[in-house]
Amino acid sequence: MTEKEISVQGSSEGSTTSNPLSRKLNKILETRLENDKETLEALKALSTFFHENSLRTRRNLRGDIERRSLSISEEFADVFSIVKNAARDQTADLINKTTDLQKESQKLDMRAKVADAFLAKYQLKTEEVRVLRGTREGHLHEDFFQALNRVKQIHNDCKVLLRTNQQTAGLEIMESMALHQETAYERLYRWTQGECRSLTSDTVDVTSIHCRAMEALQDRPVLFRYVLDEFGTARRTAVVRGFIDALTRGGPGGTPRPIELHSHDPLRYVGDMLAWLHQASASEKEHLISLLRMATAQRPVSESGPLDICNKYPSLQQDLRELVRVEQVIVAEPGPMVLYKLANLLKFYKYTIGQLLNKEAALTSTLSEMEEFAQKVFFNALNVLASKLVEKVELPPADLGPTATLSQTLSLLQEILASHDSSVVSMDLREQDFARILTSVLDPLMQMCSLSASRLNPADMATYMINCLHAMQTTLSLYEYTDQRLEMLQAQTDAHVDTLVNEQASFILSRTALLQIYSIALQHKPEEGPLASLTGLNTSAIKDGMTHFDGFLATPDNYTLPQCNFLQSTAIREKIHQRAMNLIQGAYELLYKAIHNPDNQYQEPNSIMVRTPEQVKTLLS
Amino acid sequence: MTSGPYNYSYIFKYIIIGDMGVGKSCLLHQFTEKKFMADCPHTIGVEFGTRIIEVSGQKIKLQIWDTAGQERFRAVTRSYYRGAAGALMVYDITRRSTYNHLSSWLTDARNLTNPNTVIFLIGNKSDLEAQRDVTYEEAKQFAEENGLLFLEASAKTGEHVEEAFLDTARKIYQNILDGSLDLNAAETGVQHKPSAPDSNQANLEPGGGKDSCSC
Ligand SMILES: Nc1nc2c(ncn2[C@@H]2O[C@H](COP(=O)(O)OP(=O)(O)OP(=O)(O)O)[C@@H](O)[C@H]2O)c(=O)[nH]1
Ligand SMILES: [Mg+2]
Repeated sequence: MTEKEISVQGSSEGSTTSNPLSRKLNKILETRLENDKETLEALKALSTFFHENSLRTRRNLRGDIERRSLSISEEFADVFSIVKNAARDQTADLINKTTDLQKESQKLDMRAKVADAFLAKYQLKTEEVRVLRGTREGHLHEDFFQALNRVKQIHNDCKVLLRTNQQTAGLEIMESMALHQETAYERLYRWTQGECRSLTSDTVDVTSIHCRAMEALQDRPVLFRYVLDEFGTARRTAVVRGFIDALTRGGPGGTPRPIELHSHDPLRYVGDMLAWLHQASASEKEHLISLLRMATAQRPVSESGPLDICNKYPSLQQDLRELVRVEQVIVAEPGPMVLYKLANLLKFYKYTIGQLLNKEAALTSTLSEMEEFAQKVFFNALNVLASKLVEKVELPPADLGPTATLSQTLSLLQEILASHDSSVVSMDLREQDFARILTSVLDPLMQMCSLSASRLNPADMATYMINCLHAMQTTLSLYEYTDQRLEMLQAQTDAHVDTLVNEQASFILSRTALLQIYSIALQHKPEEGPLASLTGLNTSAIKDGMTHFDGFLATPDNYTLPQCNFLQSTAIREKIHQRAMNLIQGAYELLYKAIHNPDNQYQEPNSIMVRTPEQVKTLLS
Repeated sequence: MTSGPYNYSYIFKYIIIGDMGVGKSCLLHQFTEKKFMADCPHTIGVEFGTRIIEVSGQKIKLQIWDTAGQERFRAVTRSYYRGAAGALMVYDITRRSTYNHLSSWLTDARNLTNPNTVIFLIGNKSDLEAQRDVTYEEAKQFAEENGLLFLEASAKTGEHVEEAFLDTARKIYQNILDGSLDLNAAETGVQHKPSAPDSNQANLEPGGGKDSCSC
């Protein structure tokens, strides 16, 4: 073959390659059959049934191959149809199984989802558990409160489980949540307590996480109260320190001066302490509001609403009692006047601080007690004073004016009323005290005056009493709420004025020798016979009296009752004078009519009584 | 979450003084409520109001004590001077007598407050120009002679009300910065919050704390 190849190659070298036949031949020759596996296989297969190489067989070759191919295919198809049938049966089974499995799988999926959802709803995440437990000294963070809320929520949701047939699960979960909650609240409590404990500086810096903690603690009222107590104790430290500073240190460089420096001036001393307390209460109230700004369940929402700080600061009360030395000041008996002003000051602060705090706040009630105490000591002092008045009664002075004791007591009363009037206490509160003060002072004073007047003659007594009453009236008339008292005093004055008017008129009539004549004429009845016939009423006696009376008309001032000159009130003096003159004029008129009455048988009555009553009236007015 | 009415680093106490009827309560009301109270009753004793302001980026809470001008309360109101960092001394520009009494108010203020207390003179009712009884110039001179800050204001229109309260606070803050007001002394009328520990501060920032996993 190699020889042939070479010869072919040799012969083709010289000839042209464009000859189609030689190209084809070349191609065939170049074919390397030993390398063509397909052809080799085909030839091998052919040799199995192509036994003799003859023309006939060669001619039938194609047909044979085709037939063979067909029969193989048929055989193949037969075999496959068996396989196919077998496969079909098996697949149906498989499909059924698969469907079943799919269904199963869906069911399980569903269950898994339910279980997941259940777990998500009823179990804490590990992260959450960790956050809740925290470390002992670890700070609280926002996630703590979220976890705490989750626990609460789950615990709450368990109630739904208890209503289903999942009771066991419900109970178990509830129990475990309760445990979580306890640990968490314990931790919350410790943290918040520590936080509160540190709030001892002047200004309180309540962080919002602290507020959250207070809000959360509301669910545990006992812990909430403990924490507030802790806060109270811390604030007490701050307030007491500040107060002591104000008492003893004063401002920078001693200005303002320490409050203690004013301890000799009780009003200033107590006033400064109470004002300080008032301002501190306002600040502390704000601090408490700031602390509880989220804990709305435990306090009224409105910030201006009553808020009982002091009951939250129970221990502060003790200190204040000891520090605010109001009681000592009161016990030192600074005199009724100062006591009274102190009582008023306390009343003012009770009201003012009471507006800031709850009415039942301990501070307000402490102030109330102090105020009552001051009031009691004040009235005691007044009563002691009053009983002294009645104990040793002085004789009226020669001028029948008020005694020194009366003047002193009245000026004290005046001072009290004046301070009452300019008091910082509201009107209706003032009115209450008034009656009591007046009773305490005026009744014993009246007694004292009556006692000291008891041995005097009527004119002296009336004058003295009028003077005393006048002094009292003058004092009272300057102030409010004294109308009733003034009315009583006026009624008594009027009675004594009546006495004096009569005394004055009698005095004039007796000085002019007309008293006898007038009284007889006054009581005269016609059946006693004519007046002129009665002894002492003859013409000459009356003429004599008229001469005196002319003297009186000429200089009426000389006929004034000496006591009337001692009357301290010119108005009363004038009034008594006027009324006495009216009486005289009336007496004159009565006499005049009697003399001019023909029945009385006076000759020439006009020569006996020269002046007509009108003339006398004009002269006397 | 950290803002709101609870966050401030200083508290300044003010006191408002002056004759009755000059408009002290109205000024306070205008400052805290931004409203004019036309028929304001006489103050009984003392009242107080608060507002948070900002000075140089610092939040400051003003606690303002409004005193009664009526004479009968004088003894009581005197006790409130001691804690004041600022004193607003008010007169009524339409009533000369209220201006004439300033020296007596000033004496009280000087004697009863601490040496650093900032005193601000306010001529109130500047809206009533037609009834003016005290000129701006003489009041200005009085203020200068006595080292007072001074403005004419109107509680009715609100003119200069903010300024008076804020300028006082600025002056107080200035005194703190330059050290003339010693915060360690008692009764300066200024309370300063201890600068909050950083850990606490960090807690306030949601998610901001790196140490949130420290446990
Ligand atoms: N036109 C005008 N009236 C004012 C102004 N400020 C106050 N008033 C009026 O002045 C009166 C007194 O104001 P108050 O604020 O009560 O005075 P006060 O100084 O607080 O008085 P006391 O509490 O008694 O010391 C009120 O009737 C106000 O309406 C103002 O700026 N302009
Ligand atoms: Mg007022």
